[in-house]
Amino acid sequence: MNRLFKVVSLLLALCFVMTAITFAFAEDGVIDADLTCTITLGNWPPDTAADAEKALFEGYKATMAVQYPNVTLVPDYYSYTLSNYVPMAKGHTAPSIFQPPFTDPQLLISQGLVGDVTDALESFGVLEQFSPSYVEMLADENGRIYGLPRDGYVLGMHINIDLFREAGLMTEEGLPMYPKTLQELAEYGKIIKEKTGKAGLVFPASETYGGWLFTNIAWNFGCVGENALEYQDEDGRWVCNFTSDECIAAMEYMRDLRWKYDILNADATTTDWAGAHSILGTGEAAMNFAADDSVDQPTANKGLPVDSFALIPFPAGPEGRYALAGGTCYMFSPDITSDQAIALMAYLKVLGKLPFLDDQIISGMRADYAAKRDRGAPVLPAISAWTDAEYNAAKQAIIDEYCNVDMRLYNDFFDSISQGTITLKSEEPIFAQQLYRELTAVVQRMITREGADVEKALRKAEEAFQEYLDDEINDY
Amino acid sequence: MSNKKSVLSSRAKTMEFAKAWLIMLPSLVLMTFFVWEPLFESVRMSLFKTRNVELISFIGLDNYVSVMKKDDFLQALVNTFSYTFWSLLIGFLLPIVLAVLIGETRRWRGIFRTIAYLPNMLPGLAVVILWSNFFSGGKTGVLNILLSHLNIPPQTYLTRAEWVIPIIILVATWKGAGATALIYMASIAGISPELYEAATIDGANVWRRIIHIMIPAIKKLTGTLLILQIISVFQIMYEPMVLTKGGPDNASLSLMQLMWQYAFGGAMNYGKASAVAVIVTIILLLMTAVYSYFNRKESDWE
Repeated sequence: MNRLFKVVSLLLALCFVMTAITFAFAEDGVIDADLTCTITLGNWPPDTAADAEKALFEGYKATMAVQYPNVTLVPDYYSYTLSNYVPMAKGHTAPSIFQPPFTDPQLLISQGLVGDVTDALESFGVLEQFSPSYVEMLADENGRIYGLPRDGYVLGMHINIDLFREAGLMTEEGLPMYPKTLQELAEYGKIIKEKTGKAGLVFPASETYGGWLFTNIAWNFGCVGENALEYQDEDGRWVCNFTSDECIAAMEYMRDLRWKYDILNADATTTDWAGAHSILGTGEAAMNFAADDSVDQPTANKGLPVDSFALIPFPAGPEGRYALAGGTCYMFSPDITSDQAIALMAYLKVLGKLPFLDDQIISGMRADYAAKRDRGAPVLPAISAWTDAEYNAAKQAIIDEYCNVDMRLYNDFFDSISQGTITLKSEEPIFAQQLYRELTAVVQRMITREGADVEKALRKAEEAFQEYLDDEINDY
Repeated sequence: MSNKKSVLSSRAKTMEFAKAWLIMLPSLVLMTFFVWEPLFESVRMSLFKTRNVELISFIGLDNYVSVMKKDDFLQALVNTFSYTFWSLLIGFLLPIVLAVLIGETRRWRGIFRTIAYLPNMLPGLAVVILWSNFFSGGKTGVLNILLSHLNIPPQTYLTRAEWVIPIIILVATWKGAGATALIYMASIAGISPELYEAATIDGANVWRRIIHIMIPAIKKLTGTLLILQIISVFQIMYEPMVLTKGGPDNASLSLMQLMWQYAFGGAMNYGKASAVAVIVTIILLLMTAVYSYFNRKESDWE
């Protein structure tokens, strides 16, 4: 069966290439023969990538060669990290297009390290169709756009159903009895630990991950609005607020997960994002705070069958129900010219990342979903970054054709977003990574020292981060 | 005639000089571009307010003050000295013991030498990942599996603040001790066999030969390797970065890791990162100067 899937997805990819080549011989395939430039494309699939994926990208290249015959595409295997990107941007060697996570655009924009594509977007007529929350993340204070959403995600929880079943936490319909509140999360986690000996919750608390996840818990304990973890006062100064009653309560909850309920994985302080997926995927933990865009990690990458996996909404806290909305975006080298900007938008259109659908784009999407299904990753509805209803419906219809999961294991997650029962929040507004780093240190203290003083630790972190805010922005 | 001779000799000298400079030129060019220029640039950058790698304005020692008054700097400084202490405790004597033992071995010396050096041939990251599996805290951790045979319940290792530094040094020593032992072995091999023969004739046993011949012979080398070890451990970075990510609660954060955090950990503050780098350099220069001072004094006495 697996082999059949592979053959089918490779055939689909080949069909896509053939479509692109056929298109090449049609005279009307040319969109702009005058556009002449070279663009380097980061994140090109390496030689070790699956054949279907490589064929898919070759198809994109062939299509571009037809539509824009004088645009030269240079594949680049570059994969973005903040540390490798900065020297490349300053040395004028950054690829024309690359893919940072949504934590970085504002930093890159403020540092002048990315290129402006506002005019190019306008020329394609899609500027108005951006989801406003994404525009906010990818624009500067003058409304100039420096990036495009690749895909969005919402944080929820990944579930290993096998461990829920072993712990007797299943409904009569055969679905996991998943936690709807953070309190239930602690209680169910305890039951799982007692019944299976495995961790109820894997919590990656290394580097900045611990703080990143903790902010989500803190929001659900009420660290929003006037109790936000950071806010601007009347004078426009940024203020850090880690010592509100709400934040202290959230951190006490974090401490209880370790010392009262004892549901965390053994090496939480050294576990990172990839490690957490691995622990859930290999059955060493039952729950993991994770998003819809990483469902392939515990399944396709770590071998958890898709029917043993579920995605549920982020559990509600005592003060509400919030979840992080973020994602990955496309950004551009600061050196791109206006012609290159247009060529890059054309490339993204071919990739199906702009809200346009034609036969080629549909063919590309089919090949993409078939490749996912072939790898054993769940094919799920996408959270669109565009407000174009017609485009979104057409895309969903294609996804439905390739869906390989029991949607009852995912519906609550997607319904909570579409029905607005969960409030979506973007990351903390400024210097999020530094904020996460400070909070990670507190989380680590809480889960490694039983008698740790929550308020004292938070106050120390608050002072450190306030000093950072003063240095970097208030007194800059 | 003598005038002609002297002209010839001065030309020969010039040629010799030219040759010497030509031989040194590639190294000098490489050193200038890849060592000295970055070094001076780092010092210069530490005195400026920066916007990624751009220098915005001269701020004197502000970056140093700002870095040094933060708790994490103090913690990293204490940790780095702690790394050095544990490294000297665990990792300094071990290569000497290894070299002496292998040096005294009569059969299969080559095999033992290879075994001792083998960990050094493994890629550093692979070694750290290997040991992270060994010290993994769950039931699947190799050490915990071994302990389970003794009915000892699973323990956590890398999440305990008091254990992380000794564990990291243990890992670094496991990898590096063989290479250092080889240097000691080379030094021991250079000791004249006549000294051993004379000592043996005089009735000296193995222990006395080690105390009175071997150790005095490697004493100077020991001093050099000591300072090299301190310099190396002071710059420890990838081991804690991979094994503990500096945690828990900064308990294994080293100065070099702190520098990395300033530059690439989200803050992107190259000025402060450079300040930390310069502070590390100054500490190491001071320590080397102290060592050189005492070493010279000792040489003078000799």
